[in-house]
Amino acid sequence: MTTPIAAVANCPSAPLIPPSQHPWAEVIHRLEAGGSMLPDTPENLMQIIGIYKAYAVPMDFYWRDLLYIAEQVFLDPLPAFKYFPSQEYLERPNAYAGEQSKLRLWRGGEQAHPELLAFMARGETTAMPKLLHHLWHDRINMEFAEACAQAMLWHQAMGGRFNDYLESEAYRANADRAIKAYFRRNPLMLGLYQAFPEMFLEKVKQLSYYANLGLFWEVMAPVFFEMSDIYDEGGFQGVPDAMNFLVKGIFAVAGRPIYHHVFIDGECIEIIPKAEGFTWLYEAALPYVEAVFYRTSPFRGTKSYNAQAGQVPSHQADFHYGILYADVYPVGSAGIPPTLLMQDMVHFLPPYLKELYKQHRRGEQDQLIQLGITFQRSMYNVTSAVIQALRAALLYPLDDTDPEHLLANRRFFEGQMDRFLRPEARLGAIQSQDYR
Amino acid sequence: MASILDTARAAGCFTTLLTAVELAGLSAALDSPGPFTVFAPVDEAFAALPPGTVQTLVDNTPQLARILKYHVLAGAWSRDQLIDQAQWISLEGAPVPIRRATPFEVKNATVVTADLLCDNGVVHVINRVILPG
Repeated sequence: MTTPIAAVANCPSAPLIPPSQHPWAEVIHRLEAGGSMLPDTPENLMQIIGIYKAYAVPMDFYWRDLLYIAEQVFLDPLPAFKYFPSQEYLERPNAYAGEQSKLRLWRGGEQAHPELLAFMARGETTAMPKLLHHLWHDRINMEFAEACAQAMLWHQAMGGRFNDYLESEAYRANADRAIKAYFRRNPLMLGLYQAFPEMFLEKVKQLSYYANLGLFWEVMAPVFFEMSDIYDEGGFQGVPDAMNFLVKGIFAVAGRPIYHHVFIDGECIEIIPKAEGFTWLYEAALPYVEAVFYRTSPFRGTKSYNAQAGQVPSHQADFHYGILYADVYPVGSAGIPPTLLMQDMVHFLPPYLKELYKQHRRGEQDQLIQLGITFQRSMYNVTSAVIQALRAALLYPLDDTDPEHLLANRRFFEGQMDRFLRPEARLGAIQSQDYR
Repeated sequence: MASILDTARAAGCFTTLLTAVELAGLSAALDSPGPFTVFAPVDEAFAALPPGTVQTLVDNTPQLARILKYHVLAGAWSRDQLIDQAQWISLEGAPVPIRRATPFEVKNATVVTADLLCDNGVVHVINRVILPG
């Protein structure tokens, strides 16, 4: 039986609401105290900041190339060079970082990050023409970014109005204009478009999600670089500091427009105009977290799933193949999207993380697995930031003194934690430092 | 009686809101006969948002207009009418929940002054910027 709220509230030394009875009560109480789902330890702070840095470098490539594909490559029927963003896109200043941006909250961003440019020049092997790097697969794994955008397309209805717009007549008309303009000198493709219009439209929708994700990551890359710089300067005192930095960042760019423009012979065609009012928070960040952190889809690899035996949920909303549920070992040995990301991040690990991985498990031999688990910890922290940002935007401050408000916050946190009740969730594992 | 915008100007505590309405191109609409119900956040409510939040919206007026429209209902609705219904559809399209009658709470904001009657609607002064979702 729970204690009546009024009785508890009348006692000055007692908390204003009774303790949570949820299986994840310990984590819920930590969130209510302004913490993260990830315990506040110096090693956790070091791990997550280090991996944010290693993630930000390839992300600086992902967002540039996603926009390049969505805006320039567009419907190229043989897009053999879609992973070769033009110099313009590599030198494109970040709209939300550095002195050239209006926001000026985060440093850098004048052009692609120097570590990225250095890796693109030499790769793991040596300096050679980029085509040879590409054919040798000594490059950034854009396939990972594409898999994320495709997960967003496939899961679709995840809040926001982006997907509804893709089904609208306005979108269809804009896409039609862009398709006809793009193929105006290609009667064969125009004929195919006449015969199979829905196929072309579906491809444009996919590219609209590329633009969406590119615009989302354009913001996240400088945020993660900034966090790494602040940590190197001794700026973060704990995991909650890192989480709160992300919360403030989410608010700062919440109103960033999400749009899809395509450039054909120098002419800009607005497939999704900025004037639609789509925002970074509602139309990109929240659908991204839902599609990529929670859901995605079963991966091909060493673990097989039997849909007929009910191993794959019948409802997309119940999918649980994102990083928050990932069993990193079999996933990491499967040659599938998360492995590609791990391979991308291993090139940019800060020295302190390399040293940490040498001291544990199999040392350098399994550092891909160790960094995958570090990445999982770091994404539990990002998800905590999203949860805290939503609580701040839609509910009440953590230091509110109205018990009804605190109970509303409690119900929200408990609802979020319900998603981690299923056995695949790694929330329990990350509570221990021994999980590596 | 004064219009909604004139009432807000006279109050002196809606400088940010009025600037935002002007930038978003909503002044003419809010000066039209309406009627509208406006949940008007005071300046402190905008100031309480984390750094950059307002600036990003000000730099992108369609997105700013969307957030502002979430603070407006079609029709003139008093406190007593509003609390009779659990939620109301805003001009932005998303519902605005009425969470409590006493104190009067609209979503996660508290109404500090209700029922300011205007020529073209009603203003309820709130202490927090409300966001869809």
